[in-house]
Amino acid sequence: MNHKTVKEKLDFVKKDKLFLSAGGILFLLITGFIFYDYITPEWKDIQSEFSDIIAEKFGDERAATIRTGLQQTYVKELNVADRCITCHQAMEWKGMENIENPFRTHPKEILEKHPINKFGCTPCHGGQSFATETEAAHGFTEHWEEPLLGKELSDFYVVNNKKAMMQIRCNACHRYEKETKGADAINRAKQLVNEKGCRACHVINGRGGTVGPDLTYEGEKSAEQYNYERNKGFASMFSWHIAHFKNPKELIPETVMPNFNFSSNDAQALAALVMSWKKPTMPIEYIPGHNFRDVPSQEEIEKEERMKNGPGAFFVNKQCFVCHSVSSFGVEAAAQIGPDLALAVEDVQSRFGRTLDDFLMKPTGTMDVVLSTMLPLTKEERLEAIAKLRQAYELKKTELKTAKTRQK
Amino acid sequence: MQILEQTKKIYKQLLWTWNPGSDKEAGDAIVKNVMLHWFPNKVSKGSLSWMYSMYLGTISFVLFMILVGTGLVLMFLYVPSVERAYSSVKDIEFVVSFGWLLRSMHRISAHLMVAVVFLHMVRVFLTGAYKNGKAVGSNRPLNWIIGISMLLLTLLLSFTGYLLPWDQLAYWAITVGTNIASSAPLVGEQIRFFLLGGNYIDQNALIRFYVLHVFFLPVLVLLLFLWHMWRIRKDGGLAVVDNEALTQKPEKVEPVKTKTYSLLGITNGTSVHVQNTMVNEEINSVPSIPNLTRRIWLVTLGTFLVVLVLSFIFTAPLEEPANPTVTPNPAKAPWYFLWLQEIVTDTTLNLGFYTINGALIGGIILPTLLIALAVWWPYRDPSGINAVGVWLAPERKKQNYVFIGICVVIIIFTIIGTFLRGPYWNFYLPWEAWPTMPVKY
Amino acid sequence: MKKENNNSPEQHNSTEKSRRDFLQTVGVGSVLAGLAGLGFQSLRSLVPNVLYESSQRFKIGTPAQLPEGVTFLEEKRLYVFKEGKSFYAISASCTHLGCTVKYTKLNQPKEVEENGEKKTINHEFHCPCHGSKYYADGTNYAGPAPRPLLWHKLELSPDDGQLIVDLGEEVEQNFRLTV
Repeated sequence: MNHKTVKEKLDFVKKDKLFLSAGGILFLLITGFIFYDYITPEWKDIQSEFSDIIAEKFGDERAATIRTGLQQTYVKELNVADRCITCHQAMEWKGMENIENPFRTHPKEILEKHPINKFGCTPCHGGQSFATETEAAHGFTEHWEEPLLGKELSDFYVVNNKKAMMQIRCNACHRYEKETKGADAINRAKQLVNEKGCRACHVINGRGGTVGPDLTYEGEKSAEQYNYERNKGFASMFSWHIAHFKNPKELIPETVMPNFNFSSNDAQALAALVMSWKKPTMPIEYIPGHNFRDVPSQEEIEKEERMKNGPGAFFVNKQCFVCHSVSSFGVEAAAQIGPDLALAVEDVQSRFGRTLDDFLMKPTGTMDVVLSTMLPLTKEERLEAIAKLRQAYELKKTELKTAKTRQK
Repeated sequence: MQILEQTKKIYKQLLWTWNPGSDKEAGDAIVKNVMLHWFPNKVSKGSLSWMYSMYLGTISFVLFMILVGTGLVLMFLYVPSVERAYSSVKDIEFVVSFGWLLRSMHRISAHLMVAVVFLHMVRVFLTGAYKNGKAVGSNRPLNWIIGISMLLLTLLLSFTGYLLPWDQLAYWAITVGTNIASSAPLVGEQIRFFLLGGNYIDQNALIRFYVLHVFFLPVLVLLLFLWHMWRIRKDGGLAVVDNEALTQKPEKVEPVKTKTYSLLGITNGTSVHVQNTMVNEEINSVPSIPNLTRRIWLVTLGTFLVVLVLSFIFTAPLEEPANPTVTPNPAKAPWYFLWLQEIVTDTTLNLGFYTINGALIGGIILPTLLIALAVWWPYRDPSGINAVGVWLAPERKKQNYVFIGICVVIIIFTIIGTFLRGPYWNFYLPWEAWPTMPVKY
Repeated sequence: MKKENNNSPEQHNSTEKSRRDFLQTVGVGSVLAGLAGLGFQSLRSLVPNVLYESSQRFKIGTPAQLPEGVTFLEEKRLYVFKEGKSFYAISASCTHLGCTVKYTKLNQPKEVEENGEKKTINHEFHCPCHGSKYYADGTNYAGPAPRPLLWHKLELSPDDGQLIVDLGEEVEQNFRLTV
């Protein structure tokens, strides 16, 4: 065989091997880089910085208790899984109140009513709960509609009231309240809604006129639904609302909405209020001022009042009324299982052959079970009960007499 | 002893799915086994050459395997429910270790696979490789049709995967895509209804697309792939081999010692076929192992590298959660359907009282015609045997021009649809800025 | 390849060959190491970094809100007992294989002897899966259960006076929270 041909024939082998080796090394390098990327996420730096601060302030022992790795607050009720605490670790630490974020302690008063394990972070602050990188987490990225409602946005929109933006989120739950403690911008806006008579034209929370559109769920609309042709500022729903409150005709020439000459602050507060009008998606117990409870009628209220504060209050407070009426005191049993206690003085004698005093001090049968386990009464209370029962009996007797004479 | 034999047999039957009855049967089993015969014993230089096949088929397969590998892991992490799909994908991106890489590789490989399978088809056409050569029993047109089917399945696989993240991009791309299907005459609406399991894209659609995406379509592709490879061996290898056989002069070489299997047993001597032109094989071919296998490893490695690097450069997008009440502007189909969307936009016809929806012409009639043409053409191709396995054979000049023309139009329309169409499907030149879309804050 | 080397047996060639061999080893080694890396990555991705599980510590309301006797918290699989002013909590998870045991009221009080102590009990816990049985205080006496039922710690929240259960903390059978 011709050796030259064989050599030529296998020319490519050398090249192939070389490429294979080079490619292999490159492959290993890339894999190595992926691992480097894996062991050096942004949050690890932040966590070690936090640990350093704690070690310096409180000693190494406390620093050792800091949890490392990705952290998550999961609130099943709200379907929220917030990773904010991965970096914002000092939320519930004492003594970090004056440290710069991300290591500052969360203001305590508000957390008492809104514990982190029931509310998470993003339901109040906005931002992207899934994310684990600062920029994405704060939500200032493409394709995330609900950014962090904090300093950055306030500065951007030149909002004078620094807390105004966040109150948009407060009002997601507090929307049915007339006034919410701490939400001054929203409170001001709600006050304006009443003062300026917005409901003359608009339905808000189910009440109002139909000249203008229903605003109940205005915050639910997408940004694309507004016309920005005449909006000089930044093309966002929030800036549209501000401009529209300042001068409706400027944005919609054919509108009949009057110009109320709102100040910048008021326009911003109103825009925040309108943006907050979303469909509530949280369980009802998160919504203060909601109406999901039985409303008693006037009659029921009066009856309850009479029973609680009338002469028979003792029997109501001690739960006797669950089984027994005390007719002469106006106490009506919930379930009329036991006999009317107004006649107890007579009744006990005829049923048990004992006096009321004796029976109540040493009851037998059902009353023994009830008074020993469910409704324990002290000796003084028993004496009080006996006295009241006698009183009730006297009343009942007179009642019966008058009824008899009337019959005659 | 009987019992021992019996146990042995049962044991064998348990370990082997099939117990050969004789040595011949066992030998046949090996000879007939597709899995053991991916590669011929020897492979010609033309088949090995980068320039001829460009290894596009191999690359497609490697991409498919990357997709299967990453897909299998992603199946553990993804939840196919409308409530949780989006957040599970977000979790893959943010809190699953290496999740972003798996997803990015899966996505890049899917896009590349669409492109590479398409290029593979272009290569086969331009080299006339769907034509039969002289080899007995070759049926290359059939393999071409199998290939076209796999191209369509690749598109479907990519399309069904598109919906799964359940974001705006996914939701509206599928809306546009399935509405094209609904414009088919008579049965269009029913097809869409069946595809979505309802009138709207919701849980039913998601689970259907999911099951298609992770089971039926991949299995179908795998079966067709086996058939495709088996046909290549039956067709006598790549078409370039036929060309080599035609063009090379038979060279006088020393007869090779062979064993001949005759009726009487094995005889040593020289075989008859040494006088054939295929004697050139000795000079122009090399053993498949390790030369071809090394090449395959090289291509595999190269594909991996490209996929990895691209995964770094292009992070997989995830838009806002799917929102049926807000159509993003512009709403686009997946890029490989954008040439159709472009055509759909331009082909609504007004004939007096009667309006034909562009979706019917551009979305149904045109693609159907193209597929039919592609399936039919190998049987119609008038060129002779000299045009088999040759790049841009002069004999096939005209049809090559037409084919390239169609491809260029598709590519141009795809580019226009992808890069030059902005909000309201308006045309924007590359240096013209799109109007910014409003945001909430 | 063999023939090629026979034709040129120069020193130069053999060093080049060994260099090439080395390069090849490094290349193949790199590919293998890289593949191992990818394999690890795939496996690592299946170990979750965050969990969607509710907290082990949770509030169950104020002492006054709980009714006298037993309260079953289905979701937490926990029996909380109120006896006048003292409270305790027993896990409903069978110590055999984790089925939820049933609180079973006895038709008549039963005398049992435990640790040399005689007690009268009115209820027991019975496991529906494999018939394990426990006395009122969770001590196993029948069936395959290997250990008594777990007792969990109860605390009073200093903020709002609610009872806090800590499923992560186990306590002795004589534990009582008195308010």
